[in-house]
Amino acid sequence: MTNRDPILKIENISKKYGSKEILRSISLEIKKGETKVLIGPSGAGKSTLLQCINFLVMPDTGKVYLDGRCINSRKKKELYTYRQQVGMIFQDFNLFDHLTALENVSIGLIRVKKIKRSEANERAMQELKRVGLEEHANKYPAQLSGGQKQRVSIARALAMDPKVMLLDEPTSALDPELVGEVLNVIRNLVESGMTMLMATHQINFAAAVADEIIFMENGTIIEHGPPQEILFKPKNSRTKSFCSKINEIYGDMLT
Amino acid sequence: MNEWIYIQNAVVPALWKGLVVSIELIVPSAIMGLLLGIVVGTLRVYGSVFLRLLSDGYVVLFRGVPLLVQLFTWYFGLPHIGIFLSPFSASVLGFTLCSAAYHSEYVRGALLSIKRGQIMAAQSLGFSTLDTLRYIVLPQAIRRALPGCGNEIIYLIKYSSLAYMITCIELTGQAKALASQSFKYLEIFLIVGFIYLVLVSIASWLLNKLENALVIPGFELYKS
Repeated sequence: MTNRDPILKIENISKKYGSKEILRSISLEIKKGETKVLIGPSGAGKSTLLQCINFLVMPDTGKVYLDGRCINSRKKKELYTYRQQVGMIFQDFNLFDHLTALENVSIGLIRVKKIKRSEANERAMQELKRVGLEEHANKYPAQLSGGQKQRVSIARALAMDPKVMLLDEPTSALDPELVGEVLNVIRNLVESGMTMLMATHQINFAAAVADEIIFMENGTIIEHGPPQEILFKPKNSRTKSFCSKINEIYGDMLT
Repeated sequence: MNEWIYIQNAVVPALWKGLVVSIELIVPSAIMGLLLGIVVGTLRVYGSVFLRLLSDGYVVLFRGVPLLVQLFTWYFGLPHIGIFLSPFSASVLGFTLCSAAYHSEYVRGALLSIKRGQIMAAQSLGFSTLDTLRYIVLPQAIRRALPGCGNEIIYLIKYSSLAYMITCIELTGQAKALASQSFKYLEIFLIVGFIYLVLVSIASWLLNKLENALVIPGFELYKS
């Protein structure tokens, strides 16, 4: 496989809840080391799309390929192995409430990857260091700030050595003063060459780190392209109005 | 004075024997009831449609029928289909099944209180459904269910007295026999009542210890 082949490819993913169409035949692909950012209004289907990609929500139709292999989500073993390779970061962190920061990071290594506890803890500590939280290793989620929780959740995903990471609005549930610390960690990931698909409303951040921005609305991809194009010269009028609205809310950096 | 000698020579040894039987009934029933309750409660939330129906039906039946009727069924009813249980086994069976039905309700409530995000996070790491339950959901749910389950165990200590109705002579049974002979109902049953009170107090104290031992930040709601 060459660098030009996509590491993650999805084809014609559709999802309905009742008669409401959430996703309408979405296709996209990401090459190794690329960062793609999903933007779009609430209800556009960004979260559902990310959750469909690792089958936390089962898509009605469509295919997902990792490293060129089509994933059969009905085969449990295959599904579990696939999910280990796809890191997921949630808007509301979803740290395991009964485990310390360190245990949150090591439990996947111990229970899923069946690594020895001592080695797992060592690795978990490395990941906590990477997100700057080694001195909080023994704290429980209830004792951490939102920003710290999200950084632990990033460490938890990284410990599994994912090939791709899916980030579902990782800063949306944070107080404004805590957004920066999480974005810094994500920026470091981008620089380290992690492959990522991220939904966010942080347009400025997206403009800075994304290789491509994908604008979604009503369950379809309206427009996609390099940040400069989508944010400054959108072809589609809906993209334009969304970007200007977001710009009003999140400040005047897009000038 | 006579009374004191009677109590020393007849009541204390008989009640002691009864107490031992009571404890032998209570301990296995409490443990098996709790374990079965956890399984049934889990099935009621995460089981397949068939298992859910089955476990819901079980709870309806065993919570809906008086325990004494259940005990009579096990002890006097089963022989009609060729199954013979000793009074002791029939009692433990009855207590376990009844207790588990109640436990399952506490466990079910606790399971439902675990946010879906916890499960999604585990799945996204590659946890199987069973491992998600075992390592993520149940450790949290059991902390939340413990006060309710403790309540059920305390209740079990008291309803274990029904065993004497199917001739498993435990504490209450011994007391009943003594009292019918001597007609000292008041003295004997005051003593028996006091013994149950002590048993319940010990159990409460142990359960409290357990709850406190399991307290972690974020789950300290139940700290007493």
